[in-house]
Amino acid sequence: MAQADTASLPQALPPWHRLVRTARREPAMAGGVLVLALLCLVAAVPGLFAGQSPYAIDVANALQPPSAAHLFGTDDTGRDIFARVIHGTRMTLAICASALLIAAVIGGIGGTVSGFFGGWIDQGLGRLIDVVLSFPPIILGVIVTGVLGPETSNLILALSVIYLPVFFRIARSGAVGEVGKTYVEAARCLGLPEATILRRHVLRNVLPLVLMQYIVQFPLVLQIQAALGFLGLGVQPPTPDWGAILQQGKDAILLAPWISLFPGLAVLITAFALMLTGRALQRSVDRR
Amino acid sequence: MNQDKGEKIMRPGSNPWARWRRWALTAAAVVGLAGMAVPAAAQDLYGPKAAQATKGGALTFGSLVEPPALDPYHQAADARIRFTVLMYQGLFYEAASGEALPLLAQSHTVSSDGLVYTVKLRSGVKFHSGQPMTAKDVAYSYNYLRDPKNGSPGAGDLALIAAIDAVDDTTVRITLSKPNAALPMTLGNKYGGVVPAGYFDAPDAKQALNQKSVGTGPFKLAEFKPNSHLALVRNEHYWEPDAPYLDRINILFVPNSAGLIVALRNKRADLALLTRPQDIQQVEKAPGLVLERWPSLNQKALDLGSELSPLGDVRVRQAVALAIDREEIMRAAVGGYGKVIGTMVAAMQDRWGVPLDSLPNQKADIEKAKALLAAAGHGNGLSLTLTTINGYDWMDPAAVTMKQQLARAGIDLAIRRVDLGVWIKNFQSKQMGLTFNDWATQPDPHLLFYRHFHKAPEGADFRNWANADASALLDRGLAETDSAKRKEAYAQFQKALAETVPTVMLFSADHVSVRNEAVQNYQQHPTGWFYGLARTYLKK
Amino acid sequence: MGRYLARRFAASIITAVLASIVVFLIVRAVPGDVVAQMLGQTSDPASTQSLRAFFGLDQPVWTQYGRWIGAALQGDFGISWTGGRPVSMMVVDAFLVTLEIALLTLVLATVVGVPLGLLSGIYEGTWPDTLIQTFNLLGLAAPVFWTGLMLLVLVSSALGWSPPLVYAAPGESLADNLAILFLPILALGLLQAAAYSQFVRQNVVSALHQDYVRTAIAKGVPARIVFFKHILRNIAIPLVTFMGLMLTQILGGVVIVESLFAIPGLGRLLLTAIQTRDYPVLQGALLVVVIAAMLVNLGVDLLYRVIDPRVRLA
Repeated sequence: MAQADTASLPQALPPWHRLVRTARREPAMAGGVLVLALLCLVAAVPGLFAGQSPYAIDVANALQPPSAAHLFGTDDTGRDIFARVIHGTRMTLAICASALLIAAVIGGIGGTVSGFFGGWIDQGLGRLIDVVLSFPPIILGVIVTGVLGPETSNLILALSVIYLPVFFRIARSGAVGEVGKTYVEAARCLGLPEATILRRHVLRNVLPLVLMQYIVQFPLVLQIQAALGFLGLGVQPPTPDWGAILQQGKDAILLAPWISLFPGLAVLITAFALMLTGRALQRSVDRR
Repeated sequence: MNQDKGEKIMRPGSNPWARWRRWALTAAAVVGLAGMAVPAAAQDLYGPKAAQATKGGALTFGSLVEPPALDPYHQAADARIRFTVLMYQGLFYEAASGEALPLLAQSHTVSSDGLVYTVKLRSGVKFHSGQPMTAKDVAYSYNYLRDPKNGSPGAGDLALIAAIDAVDDTTVRITLSKPNAALPMTLGNKYGGVVPAGYFDAPDAKQALNQKSVGTGPFKLAEFKPNSHLALVRNEHYWEPDAPYLDRINILFVPNSAGLIVALRNKRADLALLTRPQDIQQVEKAPGLVLERWPSLNQKALDLGSELSPLGDVRVRQAVALAIDREEIMRAAVGGYGKVIGTMVAAMQDRWGVPLDSLPNQKADIEKAKALLAAAGHGNGLSLTLTTINGYDWMDPAAVTMKQQLARAGIDLAIRRVDLGVWIKNFQSKQMGLTFNDWATQPDPHLLFYRHFHKAPEGADFRNWANADASALLDRGLAETDSAKRKEAYAQFQKALAETVPTVMLFSADHVSVRNEAVQNYQQHPTGWFYGLARTYLKK
Repeated sequence: MGRYLARRFAASIITAVLASIVVFLIVRAVPGDVVAQMLGQTSDPASTQSLRAFFGLDQPVWTQYGRWIGAALQGDFGISWTGGRPVSMMVVDAFLVTLEIALLTLVLATVVGVPLGLLSGIYEGTWPDTLIQTFNLLGLAAPVFWTGLMLLVLVSSALGWSPPLVYAAPGESLADNLAILFLPILALGLLQAAAYSQFVRQNVVSALHQDYVRTAIAKGVPARIVFFKHILRNIAIPLVTFMGLMLTQILGGVVIVESLFAIPGLGRLLLTAIQTRDYPVLQGALLVVVIAAMLVNLGVDLLYRVIDPRVRLA
């Protein structure tokens, strides 16, 4: 009933108004989007939120519990955890977003091609993906960054290798579904080149699936990134990043639990907002 | 009388220097007295004996490190050495002062050309099985160790040996290919240890070492259960009179320091060694626990590889050294539980070191650093990348502290943290650039300096220092048998090291032991190995 | 069915062999081998060379692989380079630990997650549903190792409790064993329970919207019967598949939790083997992980058929 309402909504309504309506109908999604927007703002201009420098060390004030001066306390060199969490947002989100982008593009194209052409290409690529999938993700991340070196770009590559199979499979199943449909058969009968069919019809239908998966996988890649950072495979010090702060906190966990508490909460909140948004999107896609 | 041997812990910052000096004096005095009172140095093996020691009892030792296996011939892990030194013995003992004392050897003579060592063996030594040890066993053990085909990581250290023969039942002759004053120290306890002749002929001999020990040490293996515990019991055939005192040592492998601290507080562990300042702070205030600090042989260093273009210029290296405040780095890195050093590790400073105030480039001097950089053509600033190793707790805080210090001299420091395996690979291929390093050797200046700093091909010269004068000094120290002249050669070498800065030795982190009050007479050896357990007793 | 199984099995074998080759090559591409680490800063070229020869690392990679796989097929996985123990023994010991964690987590997740999912599905749109869904999302959003850390802080500071010092196998002391595994299983279990609950809820909701269920309800069939006959049966099959999937996910998630709590399982073994470049252990352990995942998937397929005889895959 609700969706019928939307469909008949006159387009003349100002976009602002429609936004409010949508928000009222999907409060969870609205909340999620709001948090995400805030996170993007934090990532863009961290200085607006954190007054202190995330780099300034102050050995005399190391391992201080949260206080008015240091909202989230200080780490083992006396740096302000609040500033580091705030300034770490950009790096953390950028790493996850770009890793997923690479995985989505390569996995998406690979999966579509594999599903569309079938045969030995499909068999070969499928086996390859099975091999990647057979490794526990953390182990894969450790090995790949080990081979490539500790640079942040390599961490991104490692994460994209971990998530490639997900996009591959989604795109493949989408493409297989499309291949069976009459319009593709028809286009083939018309003698359109395979590449054109692939580009014009199949890819276009696979794209929304991949996009949806991008949002669904984002919270998971965030967690893996934090886990790799926790193992010391995150960004290079002193650059702040949530996983890296978590790793720092591990050694002093009973003495200074606040070092670990807050970056973990940041991951939790971000993932939570992403999941809310993702689920609401999924619902609206399902309804159509 | 042993109360003050290891110093009671105090807050870092409450003038560690004075306390340190006092420690060193006390220790030196005790050693001196012992040397006068008894002719043989045997009294000092493993630490002083205690006249009023209570015999018997089981001590529970909490260990954060676990040996992957107990084979002293094939396992390189430091955690293995720490425990196997209680079960296996070599010809000599690495005395804390930096001398090699006879252990299974009784005495030795050196031929005038310095090539033939004739070692008289201690009599009455028996293996854990009760079988007496003879020269044949000694020759077999060292020959097995040095044969590259047997795959021991310790073989390389003995490469200078041409032959080892058993002359008679109690005499072994060791022939070298060239003179080496550090030979006794290399015949110590890091690798190998004397085992019965032919031991490794059995196909499962290596693995059997995890079930049964076959050495001559004060303790023998009772049980080893990976991920859980190691139990050692007193060797009833042991050759030293009245030692060891404990009947049994139960070593628990505690996976994290939180667990260890709880165990110490609850008296579920009697003794432990702590490495991280955060842990030390947590135990400090616990009643009934005694913390003691011990000097160590380790060095946390900043290495400057000359293959990296700006570091090839000695002025840049000197500028880096002058921009650093070691005291502040040590406070950030290990919470102050260490000692700032110059060119010699803390435990060997008295015997082999040069006073810091007579060495160049030791005190921070930003203006001079800037001037040197400007002279080298980096007046507008310089960018350097510091490599640190993942998993070395002290390096990250030290790196960010140093970044801030170097910035004052106009050096922009980037930090690159790599995996240990990767780091070792770069180090061995002499591509280390600017890096933190964390290393230790047995207490001998030759073992400390030669491979690291002698020019290639004789030494590895990991930092591409290529200093011919310094290498000549190292050669002199190696060939010189006169103790005073040997010290002089190494003193001159250290001045060269401080002057042209292939490395900046930052500090030695203390060993910190925690014991409950019942545990008596434990001394932590500067290597970090647990020799001291052979002299520990429990007060009833 | 026999032919289908045979084909599935063959595909799995190919994957396993491929995976073993990939592992073999990739671990050798990581700089710094076991010899480099053993010798460390005392390395010299002669010792490096002789030790590499001792471990067979001087041979071409394919020769090394041929030797390894040949022996592995006969059940000989070699000796650990850093520990000197037979790899098969180490892997089996570690696998049993991980298996215990995985199974207990599975039980916890099922016992907590399934009822929660049923509840929130049946009461779709009401406040219990909202509450449970919030729990689900929070459970899924929290990094599992962080949950573990926070649980540790919580119990140790609030209750003053800490797990036993030394790992004990269930055969030695079941109480100690469970006390040690309690926190890691709780951390893993929370995440898994959330996933279960979410999954079950979705299936219940979609089942409730099916025409035949609506008809049954409209016809006045007692709720109890509708629930057991229609809804539960509808959920059973996808749930089994899902459990299989989640079981393999535990194998992945356990890596970091085991290192965090220092539990001597497969995850920690793998991580240590990578760090020390102990190739025989790494290869052996990864092979076991791959095969375990394969077997779980195969088992799920079989179960599928037992639950629903209609399923026939040619």
